[in-house]
Amino acid sequence: MSGFLVGWLAAIPAYAAPLLLAALGLILSERAGVLNLSAEGVMAIGAMTGAAVVLSGIAPTLGILAGVAAGAGLSLVFAIVVVVFRGDQTLAGLTTVAVGIGLAGVLGRDFVQKPFPGIERFGADAAPASNAFERFFLQQDPLVLVALALVVAVWWFLERTRAGLQLRAVGEDPGTADVAGVDVQLVRIAAVVAAGALCGLSGAYLSVAASHVWVEGMIAGRGWIAVALVIFARWDARRALLGALIFGAAEALGPRLQAVGAPVPTYLMMMLPYALTLAVLVLSSLVGRRGTDEPAALGSIYLRQDKS
Amino acid sequence: MLDGLVITRRFDTPAWLSALVFLAGIAAGLAMATALLVAIGVPASALFDEVIGEAFMTASGLAQTLTFATPLICVGLSAAVALRLRFWNIGIEGQLWLGALGATAVALGDFGPEATRLPLMLLAAALAGAAWIALPLVLKLRLGVNEVITTLLLGSIAFLFAQHLLFGAWRDPATGFPISLAFDASERLAALGFGRTHLGLPIALAAALLVWFLVDVTRLGFYGRAVGENIEAARAAGVPVIAVTCAFVLLSGALSGLAGGLIVAGTEHRMSLTLGAGYTFSGIVIAFLGRFRPLATVVVAVIIGGVFTASDVFKVFYGISEAVVVLLQGLVLFGVLVAQFFGAYRISRANWGTTP
Repeated sequence: MSGFLVGWLAAIPAYAAPLLLAALGLILSERAGVLNLSAEGVMAIGAMTGAAVVLSGIAPTLGILAGVAAGAGLSLVFAIVVVVFRGDQTLAGLTTVAVGIGLAGVLGRDFVQKPFPGIERFGADAAPASNAFERFFLQQDPLVLVALALVVAVWWFLERTRAGLQLRAVGEDPGTADVAGVDVQLVRIAAVVAAGALCGLSGAYLSVAASHVWVEGMIAGRGWIAVALVIFARWDARRALLGALIFGAAEALGPRLQAVGAPVPTYLMMMLPYALTLAVLVLSSLVGRRGTDEPAALGSIYLRQDKS
Repeated sequence: MLDGLVITRRFDTPAWLSALVFLAGIAAGLAMATALLVAIGVPASALFDEVIGEAFMTASGLAQTLTFATPLICVGLSAAVALRLRFWNIGIEGQLWLGALGATAVALGDFGPEATRLPLMLLAAALAGAAWIALPLVLKLRLGVNEVITTLLLGSIAFLFAQHLLFGAWRDPATGFPISLAFDASERLAALGFGRTHLGLPIALAAALLVWFLVDVTRLGFYGRAVGENIEAARAAGVPVIAVTCAFVLLSGALSGLAGGLIVAGTEHRMSLTLGAGYTFSGIVIAFLGRFRPLATVVVAVIIGGVFTASDVFKVFYGISEAVVVLLQGLVLFGVLVAQFFGAYRISRANWGTTP
């Protein structure tokens, strides 16, 4: 039983990390007032780019960075459409998903299903684990630690820095932020590009670190889970960590139970993240918390002339 | 940023400008897609031949295009009906999965006499689709919960539910694949004798006519326009906002469910897990390019159906992933989104010194 438990716990971070990285990015974007549904597509381009770079004989670390850059690049397009050209954020987000998945599929046709040496787990060439703690730790990889550090970094940035305060001001009341001398458009573009970089990192994690191979459709809805996770976490980086662990634990449980031969309704269990998020949405509106957590200007178009 | 320019919202966009920027946006999107396909090695002449020539001018290609268009008409109408009230139905795929499951349940369970089996399957599909959007509708009306997220979440839940059934109780025991047993002959929509087109095509066209009648002719449609334009004004003017919203949104869900029913009963003749992917975005693209008008939606759906047909050719001859369809739709929509800015806003040079 304890063997099963350690195996399950050790598997959770690899499931939670990509959800967490993407959700942290989306939190940055949405706290700046830009509703961001683009994660699924940005992660797709990040995963494909990371794999393509490593398959071209470049080091996995640089592959990860290439995925980050590709995610940031696609998000820059999204940012320009919604911030400069005032496109509808819901529609532009869905469009970015389509373009990201489409580009990954069309440009990545030569890289499909080719295994490559990616980022290894700590235990890849270590001696077998001697105790439960080692068994847990050796199953992790460096990017899991990066994800944890980014939770602290994003929380610190939003709550403790001047730039973070400006970003939150833009998301709550862009008119007032503008009067106070904050460049609303620049902050929003920067926030969306940062979100793209984190979603690209999340995608590259899936191909370069978690599976060492790229296939079309490999994101498999994780971007949508990240969108849900942001609401579950009520736009707070610390709660995003908690949520990612819960969602990751739910995702990791099915394969572990199957591995020990227990009959489990895998797909019903995989509904858990979505059902929990629905429950959070309903509960928070029932108790009237919605107004205090959701950035007030989320999804709104800012036009200086609209100020009254 | 951009402080040198003053952007003001146009009070009223003239129709010619609206049409011009719209067409320019589509053209820009198509140009981007063409450039990309040429860059990855598809000859430009082949592009024209495959899309226009193969997908619309040959009998087999046109039949394939119309087969693709059948469910696309339904999801396009579904998105258009909801968006008329500014209700974002991002869960079209979820309602489509439920519709397919509803029709399959009737077929596998052999409910009712054989003569009424097909109507019952399609009715079940439409009802299941409507039921699946009912929760987001109630949450929006009663608690003000954003429908973008709730419809999206329920879409994912629906797909997992379909997987639960097809990897479990509904799996065809003869194969290892997650597909259901094939339907009986009485549970398949009749072929029209033109390629793989089936009775679903006239049904989808009839649905388009019905939707056109409802939203463009009747009083309900008039109310719907009022709610979509300005919900507060509509409420003040005595429009039954709740009832109108319920009617439009449930209709949207039913149309997506019907799309799922038509796919399983008309094309696949069994339930599978590959039949529903991508319809949410296609539906929204079709609704936008059709300007939310039911009959224009039919035309755009046929064009997008042609893109699907052409994509099959690209896949065979140039090894290009079917993701190219999603990419093309995305680029065109990006083009339209950017172009609409120039219709909705007036851009002038800043002249801070002289304006009061």
